Amino acid sequence: MSKQPTRANGASTKRLAEDGGASPLSKSLHGLSLQHASRPPAVADSSSDICPVCKSSRYLNPNMQFKVNPECYHKMCESCVDRIFSHGPAPCPIAGCARTLRKAKFRRQTFEDLKVEREVDIRRRVAGAMNKKEEDFETLMDYNDYLEQVEEITWNLILKVDVEATEGRLRRWEDHQKAELNPNARRREFDSSVPTDHVVLKKGATQRKTAAPASTPQTIANEMNEDIGFKFHGLKKRVAPPPEAPFDPFGGWSIAPQYYVLQDDYEVDWLTNQKNDVKHSVGGYDMRDFYNRSLREAFGGFGVFIEDEINARGTPSLDPHVGTKQAASVAVGARDVNMDDVF
Amino acid sequence: MKLSEDDIYRTSTQFNHWSFTTQQLAAQRLKTNMQATERVKANVARQRAQRLQQAESDSLSSGVENGSGANTPLPDRSSDVKEVDCLTAEEELMIVDEFCERALALGAHCQFPTEVTASCVQFLRRFYLYNSPMTYHGQNISRTAMFLACKTENAHQSVETFATNFSKTTAEQILAPEYVIVQGLRFQFDVKHPFRGLKGGHLELVEMARGSYEGPNNIEDGMTSADLQARMLTLPRKAHEPSAKTSMQDMEKRLTSAYGFASHILKNAALLTDAYFLYTPSHIWLSSHLLADEPLTLFYLSIKLPSHSPLYIKLLSTLRSCAALLSSHRTFNAQRSPDVDAKHKARVKQLIEKLKSCRDPDKVDLVKLNQAQKRDAVEGEGGFDESKAKRRKVERETYQKESDNFWGPELPKA
Repeated sequence: MSKQPTRANGASTKRLAEDGGASPLSKSLHGLSLQHASRPPAVADSSSDICPVCKSSRYLNPNMQFKVNPECYHKMCESCVDRIFSHGPAPCPIAGCARTLRKAKFRRQTFEDLKVEREVDIRRRVAGAMNKKEEDFETLMDYNDYLEQVEEITWNLILKVDVEATEGRLRRWEDHQKAELNPNARRREFDSSVPTDHVVLKKGATQRKTAAPASTPQTIANEMNEDIGFKFHGLKKRVAPPPEAPFDPFGGWSIAPQYYVLQDDYEVDWLTNQKNDVKHSVGGYDMRDFYNRSLREAFGGFGVFIEDEINARGTPSLDPHVGTKQAASVAVGARDVNMDDVF
Repeated sequence: MKLSEDDIYRTSTQFNHWSFTTQQLAAQRLKTNMQATERVKANVARQRAQRLQQAESDSLSSGVENGSGANTPLPDRSSDVKEVDCLTAEEELMIVDEFCERALALGAHCQFPTEVTASCVQFLRRFYLYNSPMTYHGQNISRTAMFLACKTENAHQSVETFATNFSKTTAEQILAPEYVIVQGLRFQFDVKHPFRGLKGGHLELVEMARGSYEGPNNIEDGMTSADLQARMLTLPRKAHEPSAKTSMQDMEKRLTSAYGFASHILKNAALLTDAYFLYTPSHIWLSSHLLADEPLTLFYLSIKLPSHSPLYIKLLSTLRSCAALLSSHRTFNAQRSPDVDAKHKARVKQLIEKLKSCRDPDKVDLVKLNQAQKRDAVEGEGGFDESKAKRRKVERETYQKESDNFWGPELPKA
């Protein structure tokens, strides 16, 4: 009881002190700044106003934009990016960082803190690969274990622990997932040598490294003992949806004659002319169509007894749903119906 | 999910909307007759009152105002008040039958295929089930019904060509009651005829006679088609006769003649009775075949159904009642007695004379009625009033203009 108010007091006094400490400085900065109104508040830090590559400052070039590449997260101005990377991939100009960057990957940063920017990127990438849901696991325990493992992978990548191995495992897992979703896509990959993300610049021409052994295609036969990067306990095997049945325009209905069997041919005199008539056969007329139709009509209603069925039906055939309403009203009543002109 | 022939027939409009029991048929005809009678009486009374009013105003305007002039309408009025002598339901049916027979003759005269004539006759019977010949005269309706049947049975002629079959008939007269008929038929044009079914049955019988039948066989288990043929060739010639051996050629001749006779029944008696309303086409052809050759038909049925099953017994009784209906018709006997014929003709002639006096005065001029219903019809007793017609015309023209503005006017015909 006695502790809480004191702690609250302490926190409030601390904040007051911070505000009080910051306010004179910020006030003086505000006073100094000439372009206060036009400057976006996100880049208020004075060090970010100078490009580390060309050293030009926002003071000289108010339209200056900074960009980063997720490969190394080094910041540089837009004109530098244009200048250095317009002719293809080039090493990062920041001293001590020799990573090959491409212009297409440069983008404006979303978060002011580049560490946050990087973490968000990594989390996005991991979440893209590790997209299992609770339903995919047998127990909630297994799902929680999986989530923990995912978080571990994420932090490994963020803290740069075992990056190479983790990346490799992640890639293998992704490949495995893709293959499971679409078995045909994997077979196509078989022929083409797989390009990797790692590109080394050599005498102005790009040379691709051969694919890492993890991503080399493997035959489906040894898929069972294949290294898929990760193994999660309690993960249900994905059941492929059953193949779509061929379309049946009759919705499963078929005509099965009850009282006759259609023969291929019926020998009667009065049909010989039609049978041998070229004019009929050329058009694709099949005599069996005639046989079938006439036999079907011969027995259509063979076992239908109108009196019984009507009595069973109860209502006479004068129900109002017959035909159109108007026609029925004409049938029942004595009135004619005017054919109405729409205009 | 399998559909048998019966299931398919049950989906037809003929079964669903145009099949009745005998009681239903009679009740419906009576109802139609009552309604028509009421209408005729009411319309005639109205017309007379109008005429009387007209006459009175005429006499007033002409200024004849003496005592004798005022007295003269009185005896007229008393004679007018005499009730119209309307047709009864039976008389109506007789008239319809007469026009059906005339339609048969017309089909033969125009050399239309059998199906066209048969459909026309059925259209007439269906139409007059819900309409009375007092309202719509058979003469007009049967011509149009024939024209409709030509269209539905794939034997279409243009109206002009069709009209040349009749003297003093224009295309307009044929088209005038078309919509009325189509509406009376409830837009159901499919008539299931027994003709093709008879052909199918004949095909199977011939196969049996030749010993190459492959269908179901319910006589005995393990019977080959040759056994069946042997059994068939020993069938008696007529019912209640001892069996007699025949050769295959004779059997084929017998089948052909049975087919011919049955077909004759189907083309006449079956069309002119209520068979289509009361029985399925399958029953109709089987019973006409039963009339033509009983032992053959019974043999055929016993192959199709086990002869002690309830279905067989029921079917046979249905066929017998259908056969009784068919054979009761005048045209059943080829050599009918001229005496009966003459009596029938005289009776029909008398009825048609009677019909002249009791027609619905509103429905006499079908062409004019049809005109009144068409677009831009101006002033008619049943039509629109002038302003309405004018407004519609203006509306239509503006609509046309708008669409022309958008799509461009119609291309001139080269």
